[in-house]
Amino acid sequence: MGNNKNNNVWIGGEHLVNDPSVLESANKEFVELPIVEQMSDDRSMEVTSNRRDFLKYLGFSVGAATVAASCDIPIKKALPYVTKPDTIVPGVANYYASSFVNGGDYCAVLVKTREGRPIKIEGNTLSSITKGGTSARAQASVLSLYDTSRFQQPQKRGDDGWEAVNWADLDKAVMGGIGSNARIVMNTNMSPTAHKAVMDFVAKYPGAKTVTYDPVSSSAILQANEASFGQKTIPNYKFNKAEVIVSFGADFLGTWISPVEYAKDYASGRKIKGVKGAKMSRHIQVEGSMTLTGSNADNRVLVKPSEMGAAIATLYNEIAKATQGSTVAAPTLNAKATSSMSSVAKELLAHPNKSLVVSGSNNFGEQTLVNAINSMLGSYGNTISFANASNQRQGIDAEVQGLISEMESGGVSSLIVWGANPAYDLPNSDKFIAAAEKVALKVSLSGTPDETTALCDYVAPSNHFLESWGDVEAKKGHYSLVQPTISNLFDTRQAESSILTWAGNTQDYHDYLKANWEATAFSMQNDFISFQAFWDSVLHDGVYENAESDYPVSFAGNVNNAASKISKPTTGLEINFFETVNLGGGQYSGNPWLQEMPDPITRCVWGNYLAIPIVFDGDRHWDSKGQFAGLNGNEIKGFADKINVTIDGKVETVTCIRAFGLMNDVVSLAVGYGRTIGNQTGLNIGTNVYPWLSIDANGNTQYYANVSETSGKVGEDELACVQYHHTMGVTGEAEGYDEKVNVDELAISTIARGYQGLLVDRTVIRQGTLNEIDELADKIKHEREHAEHLNSQTLYPYDEFKETIYDQGHHWGLAVDMSACIGCGACQVACVAENNVPVVGKYEVFRHHEMTWLRIDRYFYGDYENPSVVYQPMMCQHCDNAPCENVCPVSATNHSSEGLNQMAYNRCIGTRYCANNCPYKVRRFNWLDYTTADLFPINEPEINGEDLPFGADNLTRMVLNPDVTVRARGVMEKCSFCVQRIQEGKLAAKAEGRRLRDGDVKSACQTACPTGAITFGDTNDKNSAVSKAMGHELAYFNLDEVNTKPSVKYQAKVLNSDEALS
Amino acid sequence: MTNKLLYFKFLILFFTCLTFSLSAQEADLNAGKTLFINQCASCHAKDMKADLTGPALGGVEERWADYPREDLYSWIRNSQAMISAGHPRAKELWSTWGPTIMNNFPAYTDQEIENVLAYVDAKWKEQPKVVENTTGTAGAADGEDNRLMFIALFLILGLLALVLARIIANLNYMSQVQEGDTDAQRKTLSDILTSKGFVSFVIFLAIVIGGFMTVNNAINLGRQQGYQPDQPIKFSHATHAGLHKIDCKYCHDGARRSKHSVIPAANTCMNCHKAIEKGSTYGTAELTKIFASIGYDPSTDKYIENYDELKTEDIEKIYKKWIADEYVKDNSTLDREGERLIEEQWDAIVSSLTDPDNGDDKIQGPIEWVRIHNLPDHVYFNHAQHVTVGKVECQQCHGKVEAMEVVEQYSPLSMGWCINCHRETDVQFADNEYYKSFEIYHEELAKGKRKGVTVEEIGGLECQKCHY
Repeated sequence: MGNNKNNNVWIGGEHLVNDPSVLESANKEFVELPIVEQMSDDRSMEVTSNRRDFLKYLGFSVGAATVAASCDIPIKKALPYVTKPDTIVPGVANYYASSFVNGGDYCAVLVKTREGRPIKIEGNTLSSITKGGTSARAQASVLSLYDTSRFQQPQKRGDDGWEAVNWADLDKAVMGGIGSNARIVMNTNMSPTAHKAVMDFVAKYPGAKTVTYDPVSSSAILQANEASFGQKTIPNYKFNKAEVIVSFGADFLGTWISPVEYAKDYASGRKIKGVKGAKMSRHIQVEGSMTLTGSNADNRVLVKPSEMGAAIATLYNEIAKATQGSTVAAPTLNAKATSSMSSVAKELLAHPNKSLVVSGSNNFGEQTLVNAINSMLGSYGNTISFANASNQRQGIDAEVQGLISEMESGGVSSLIVWGANPAYDLPNSDKFIAAAEKVALKVSLSGTPDETTALCDYVAPSNHFLESWGDVEAKKGHYSLVQPTISNLFDTRQAESSILTWAGNTQDYHDYLKANWEATAFSMQNDFISFQAFWDSVLHDGVYENAESDYPVSFAGNVNNAASKISKPTTGLEINFFETVNLGGGQYSGNPWLQEMPDPITRCVWGNYLAIPIVFDGDRHWDSKGQFAGLNGNEIKGFADKINVTIDGKVETVTCIRAFGLMNDVVSLAVGYGRTIGNQTGLNIGTNVYPWLSIDANGNTQYYANVSETSGKVGEDELACVQYHHTMGVTGEAEGYDEKVNVDELAISTIARGYQGLLVDRTVIRQGTLNEIDELADKIKHEREHAEHLNSQTLYPYDEFKETIYDQGHHWGLAVDMSACIGCGACQVACVAENNVPVVGKYEVFRHHEMTWLRIDRYFYGDYENPSVVYQPMMCQHCDNAPCENVCPVSATNHSSEGLNQMAYNRCIGTRYCANNCPYKVRRFNWLDYTTADLFPINEPEINGEDLPFGADNLTRMVLNPDVTVRARGVMEKCSFCVQRIQEGKLAAKAEGRRLRDGDVKSACQTACPTGAITFGDTNDKNSAVSKAMGHELAYFNLDEVNTKPSVKYQAKVLNSDEALS
Repeated sequence: MTNKLLYFKFLILFFTCLTFSLSAQEADLNAGKTLFINQCASCHAKDMKADLTGPALGGVEERWADYPREDLYSWIRNSQAMISAGHPRAKELWSTWGPTIMNNFPAYTDQEIENVLAYVDAKWKEQPKVVENTTGTAGAADGEDNRLMFIALFLILGLLALVLARIIANLNYMSQVQEGDTDAQRKTLSDILTSKGFVSFVIFLAIVIGGFMTVNNAINLGRQQGYQPDQPIKFSHATHAGLHKIDCKYCHDGARRSKHSVIPAANTCMNCHKAIEKGSTYGTAELTKIFASIGYDPSTDKYIENYDELKTEDIEKIYKKWIADEYVKDNSTLDREGERLIEEQWDAIVSSLTDPDNGDDKIQGPIEWVRIHNLPDHVYFNHAQHVTVGKVECQQCHGKVEAMEVVEQYSPLSMGWCINCHRETDVQFADNEYYKSFEIYHEELAKGKRKGVTVEEIGGLECQKCHY
């Protein structure tokens, strides 16, 4: 394996084996399907219009428009307020501090509202948990407010579906039917006041109980901590204090417990401040299939999911031996991982009190051993603390299993489902559905239809969090408030109010919340004398934090008992089920922004794909491995194969994708897909894997399984994978060439052998390791000098422009630190939200028509069986010497004095020359009328069976940013460096008569980033953060040698790899 | 010779007289104008045509023509004295305008009063001016003159061409006859007009003119210069901004701090109209619309509680009572005319505040103004940038709104118009710290190399200043 090293980056297997098809596909900016495929494609045939129709439409509409326009001016109305709220100035955004909360997902946010409409989520920098960072889910949450599938009034099950009822009737019916054994089933709920409301409910109905579970559960951690320390809670992990981080399958940067917080802390230990004396933490990931966290690790140790226990026990024994502790019986681990574990142990022992071991497993024994390891390493009190412990996972899987038994036995009088979807996301949802028959009254508090509301008698629809009051205690003593930023769009009532009403308390929830805060948080503090002042301050800040002092804990767990409960390694094919960054446990499947955000690893959208391992002979041959051989040979053409997978007797058809970084005999598939009831957007996409999950002896859900059988190819699916779309700067072999060529030069080299002697190795990705960081810095310096030399002979009067125009006023620039970028995709969703980027749907993505202005390119390098990963956020580079500008026949794209590559949509006639000429491939063309902005309905794409394209209905359009044009069909668009924010920041400075300060203008991607990888600002201000970042010794320009003079600079990726582990 | 000299002398005399008389009249009018604006305009409409607090003054001399001129003087100096003295014209006026008392101006000289009367008369007889326009109207006026000339020229040349064509045809015919061509025929006018050359020339001309007009009209599609729609309320900017000199930005407060100038909310109107419950021009007719929008009961001087939940019938009662009460105050009894007026005003309120076509049957709620200035969706315009930062006067783009009874779109709002201003306007460079980052310009300014920096020079013509 060690011989299979490749120091060049590669984007996929075809690229690795120098398949000419890579160059062929990458060479073309616009990929066209072969005619035959288009003709055989039903959807293309449905288009009934032809050129003659087009001419008819054109003639008619031009004539009609002329007649209409010359006859009468269409009357537009302007409606002022009747009584204008003094806080609202139409045209000026207001920001309200609130909290994004959905189950255990939490983010302290600022909600941007325009004329009373929430349109964007920003991070709240005052929170010490998220520190201004956001996640893709938080960014996309504003869209779910305008979800067209939301219940618009209370519902009652009638003979033919739902019937609308009024709240009074619903309350009467529910209160009459609650009975003596009510159960409230919910996911993690972090609101102390909501819990108080539930206690009021229980006080009124003494037999009532709550049942908490999480679709992707951490209940083993809670159990293990209870057994080990007497604390049934999730401790406070401090990734910033750890010098060695070992994670056993915990995806702490993507999905595990509090990813935004951990990503921020993790990145603070990973950023290279300066080449001299550079320091960074070391991160080792033990896993079977590549997670987002694993892709960022310095070293990955591959184990099968069933070997996780063995790996933990082996590590435990290694450390115990070294610290004279007692060892436990460890199952056999694969040889390579065994030797790796001893290296890992050495590494950990070399950093006492500064190491941190975490595990994502949901096995009580494994989590207990991890606690023991941390205890031996002195992590408690240093990198782990029970002070300010996390509330972000509270679910105990056994509880919901107990509920099912109770329901089956008829012991439950009524069931209130609050924010959970047990009819979909339990391993035995079928049992739950059957048992629900025996419950007399089932009420859902869900705001949108789902599999569970379908079982219910009543729906008391809850508000969206942006319409609600509430509080969150994500970590003990760290409170934050949720405040409404818009009044209820529909006749809904927040869940807490419903619970309170049924408990016989008619108090307004806002008053109830304030009363609770007065009694609790206010009485604990000394800063404010009046409650109102305290409340106003907390409401303004959004957060109120009360740091607890740390206290010592001692490990009291039984390691031998734990070792007997760990997973037992099995032979044969295993499947790993994981949560994706975007869709979670399926709660977010109705959100088109998240559906269209590519998965960071597979880079697929609109579906979950079975990741199958690959085999590569180191030279020319690559294929799917083992029993999958021959599958998915057509990925580069956009087609994937479907196979049947049998697990525990249950057969499902899944679509495959070839994946790097998989262990032998391991495949993986994401949870959260295959929803059947809900928003149309998320229905019947991918495969629902929950029925394949199993429950272990401790009642905990297990997220892996043995695959009993896989079939051969049973069908073909369109692969909506952006992997080979917009490929730039790749090197490979083209047919008819003996030597390697570069994709960007392929066109030139067919005419002559390249004007600059064919630059095969282009500056796209620069990466290195910490111990060779000086060489990396030298290389970058040398390349820069070389590029400057190459580019000094130019016909363009760049220096003249620079001196007279660019060097005064502002010159905008952006710096990306690829060591800090973890690929989470928050920036991408933020960009979509800020810039009204349309959602195009699976078929359009399959046709390479995705519209995202910012893409996160994922490159592999190193050992092909266990590669390292670089993420490169790629957006318009705003070249001062832009190739796109020169070729526009109508000058629709041109350069501003502030260094912006401007795009004037109304001038664009859609020749697409610019996109053809862009070496970064960041320009996007509106092939169809994705936003219904033009006159012809025939141009609208039909997406997933909906009548209108995504976001074209009046409700969803409320999310649009009114400062950004909605583009029509036939125009080119691309990253604008958030020019609306630039103009806003400049105007604020001008109005105040002061200079623009660094930080006045922040791009949407920058504010969204949880790790601070993106810095935006004025490069003419030599003291600005962006100037400093661009002056970093590891910073380089992408494709520097082609003399585009970009305004974006990348900082090379550095890993702190342990040679002993690779 | 003598004749000529005489003629010249006469001419000089004539001009001297003319100048004298002109300047004399000028002096009167100017003095009268100053007096009128300072003393009279707060009650009498400036156009002399509309009734305000006091009657319209246009034609005042004719109405007093039956009486000695001195009566008019004393009426202006002390009207109440004349009413008590029982002067017939005075009594007549008191019956319509009482109990409003006109201020006394005892110190006015006869000459001063004459000046005012001259101004009133001149102003009254003045033709309503077409909107003053620095470029547009002036250009159009020139164009009109030229056009007449061009048409005349065109006709003359056309006739000339025809005559020449006929002459050539005749000459041709003559030469052909001379050369002995027996088949030769004299070309008739119709032959000339249907000849290939002429037809193709006409077609060519039609294409050129047609093309020119098509392009021009296409450019003008959607442009609305001069657009002056009827508004749901006959709000007069002339009264508010002109007569009472309310600052534009008092009501349009967004202009200072937002991209939108903002149409004022009804509660902004109420700041003043809680006190002024009856309009000077339309009485109860227009102001009641605002009260009905926001729920203010002028009869009790209070906002109506839970106004939003009231039924239309209840609202109708409240405001009909107010209109009726006010009518009775003025006319002592509610006659049939009064009842008709109440119905008429109520109907106007309903039609202004509801929009049944779009499902809005509620009286309560915002007044639906007709938007006059419409920019296309792909244009970003920010008022604050121009008003606060650029210190541009509102009138520069919106015209003399303070003189407009009904507002109209003054500027073309075309891109060329924007661009042109950006080319010509200097940035407020000196006293704004923000522009310090333009170091080269500051150096040049200090050295005297340049006088100012235009918007264009700091990037004001770039696409993404307005389109993003």
